[in-house]
Amino acid sequence: MPRQPAGISLRAVGKTYRGRGKTVEALKDMNLECSPGSFTALIGPSGCGKSTAMRVALGLESFDSGEVLISGQTPAQATASGITGVAFQDAALLPWRSVAKNVALPLEVLGRDPSKYSVEIAQLIELVGLKGYENALPGELSGGMRQRVSIARSLITSPKVLFMDEPFGALDQIRRRQMNVELQRIWSETKSTALLVTHGIDEAIFLADQVVVMHADPGRVVDIIDVPFARPRHPDLFSNPEFHALTDRISMVLHEA
Amino acid sequence: MILIIVWEIVGRMDWIAGGALPGISEILIRLWIDRGDYPGHIGATVYASGLGFLIGNVLAIAAGIAFILSPTLLRLMRGVNIAIFALPPIAIAPILVLTLSGMAPRVTLAALGVYFVTMSATVIGLSQYDTRSADLVRAYGGGNWLILKLVRIRGAIPDILSGLRIAAPNAVLGAILAEFGGGGRWGLGTYLLGSLGRGDPARLWGIGLVATLIAGLSYAIFAVISTRISGSTRSVTLNTAIPSSQGENAYGRPIQALILCGTITLPFVLWWAFIKLTGVPDLIAKTPYGVFEYLFLKDTSVIARGKLMAALGQTLPIAAFGMIAGLAFAFLLAISSRLFPGFIKGFIPVALVTQTMPLVALTPLLVLILGRGYSVTLWITISVTFFPAFVLLVQGIQRVPQSVLDLPRAYGASAWTEMRIVSIPAALPYLFAATRLTVPRALLGVMIAEWLATGTGLGNLLNRSRGYLDYSMIWTVAAVSVLLSVAIYYLVLIVERRTLVRLGMQNVE
Repeated sequence: MPRQPAGISLRAVGKTYRGRGKTVEALKDMNLECSPGSFTALIGPSGCGKSTAMRVALGLESFDSGEVLISGQTPAQATASGITGVAFQDAALLPWRSVAKNVALPLEVLGRDPSKYSVEIAQLIELVGLKGYENALPGELSGGMRQRVSIARSLITSPKVLFMDEPFGALDQIRRRQMNVELQRIWSETKSTALLVTHGIDEAIFLADQVVVMHADPGRVVDIIDVPFARPRHPDLFSNPEFHALTDRISMVLHEA
Repeated sequence: MILIIVWEIVGRMDWIAGGALPGISEILIRLWIDRGDYPGHIGATVYASGLGFLIGNVLAIAAGIAFILSPTLLRLMRGVNIAIFALPPIAIAPILVLTLSGMAPRVTLAALGVYFVTMSATVIGLSQYDTRSADLVRAYGGGNWLILKLVRIRGAIPDILSGLRIAAPNAVLGAILAEFGGGGRWGLGTYLLGSLGRGDPARLWGIGLVATLIAGLSYAIFAVISTRISGSTRSVTLNTAIPSSQGENAYGRPIQALILCGTITLPFVLWWAFIKLTGVPDLIAKTPYGVFEYLFLKDTSVIARGKLMAALGQTLPIAAFGMIAGLAFAFLLAISSRLFPGFIKGFIPVALVTQTMPLVALTPLLVLILGRGYSVTLWITISVTFFPAFVLLVQGIQRVPQSVLDLPRAYGASAWTEMRIVSIPAALPYLFAATRLTVPRALLGVMIAEWLATGTGLGNLLNRSRGYLDYSMIWTVAAVSVLLSVAIYYLVLIVERRTLVRLGMQNVE
């Protein structure tokens, strides 16, 4: 049975941490298929392995069993070829670089000349609402502002596959909703495959085509729920009764033992 | 200000040891009278220490980077590194004067004094980096080289600057000690030697103060640069990931054993090579085999061993005690730097004086004050170990980022509680690094005191052997003291590894 090369593909992936006398099965037989151009949300309680799954996909962690393919390549190949973009839970900005220079970092890693991207950098900084802060240092910014820099940075390489680990966690609700709408807009323009790890059910439903629910001990997928709403999605959706029903349903799956 | 007035009164009254501590006005008057002599001496010392500082640091930073890139190289060179640091300048000075010419002995000793400190600081700085930033680079396919270039080197700058701060007085001390080995008309050390016999404490103190001033100035320069730069480097949230040890057990047992052999033998190989390269005759320059022969194969070996063991028995206990005292003192003071920042600012000049004042000038004065017993040795050892440990610890405690400090305070914790819960544990890697740094210095301090004052132990043995022209014993004592330092260093390292891994912290080196 021929399989279409998935944007992100994890098949039967297992990962166990051994350390300090304890063994933790972070991922057990994890399966995840994200077709190219789709938006997937990973949701689950702390310790369920969602961040681990993302790190494995990025090649930051090794895995003990199974197969991981990003756009048909291994994580190492994919990241080196510059098709990935990442925004971590912790902004992880270099403290001695300005906002603009931090946004330019992925370009430098990939060996591209940042000066050729000055327009894009300025546009992204404006997009995340930080116009005027191009030369500020991370130490001068609030937590939310740093997170926004991180998001701008994740987009600078126009990635085909975008990984985000709770990027909006530090933002307030209003800004968060705004960023959700913005992210949807940007993503639909770039047509990249996106994987979002999040705690927020409403955020997951608003943005994703499929919501993958995970449980902990061992980290595993318990359900995959398709989101039927048409795109582009309007902020009104947050008040929609069907939206609420879906929220309740996912909440139940999340909280069942 | 108060300190100066007290000093003046005490000095004028000859309250301390009948005039050993003159009033500051007396010192200054003496300084003024001698002012014609100083420029020549200052010039020579500054030149030698400056050049040594430059050469030593360039080598040290390059070495530090090389060691981070290749942990195997670091392992191999460990023996050499600590040997360089542990060399008692006292034993080396006459040897250098005999084997090298002109300013070279002083520049060499200054460079040697600087190398280990800066190299160590570079390695610490490059090791303690923010793994999340490294993750970010990796997530875009970047390899170790890019991580080094983009994240680690810039991140290491505060630590390197801290190293340079400590190294600066070392360069001055090294240059002056080299002058003690003889040769050279100009230099503060030479000036001091010439003045020792005159029994003029005011001039001795004057020379000591000038030397301290030079060292203090260099320290201040780097302190200013450091403050400017570290504002932007402090991480904004504390990193809690446990970094993986890089290729720690990448090699099998046989290769590890081989590397260990290399580590141990490399210093001896370099020793032998140095003698061959300088072409100094056998009589004066003893090879490793020459020392071995002297200790075990000759008729006189039993006597030689006897002398050595007796000396060791006198030196070791005091060195250990002084080291622990110095570290404890540094630790307590470093903690207070958080609680009482004003106090620390006032204290640093005093610390600088005790650190930089050429021990050879300080010792006779301390002897006059304290007598020739063990207390002199102890005080000298403490003052010698204290300062570098202090600076390193303060740096470590200052590295704790703001948000981590805010957390206990948000629960109403007092400054002391916050220290206890966050700052002190965070400073632990630096405490271990400071301990390792301190070991050779303690031994050195003891030996200097023994040489000049107490007439016991290794230092005295060394001095007597110079008088008897017993070159074999000189090289033997040098070799033994280095081996001793190395052994204790490794002991500390083992304890450090076990403790830090258990606490989930990054192991330095």
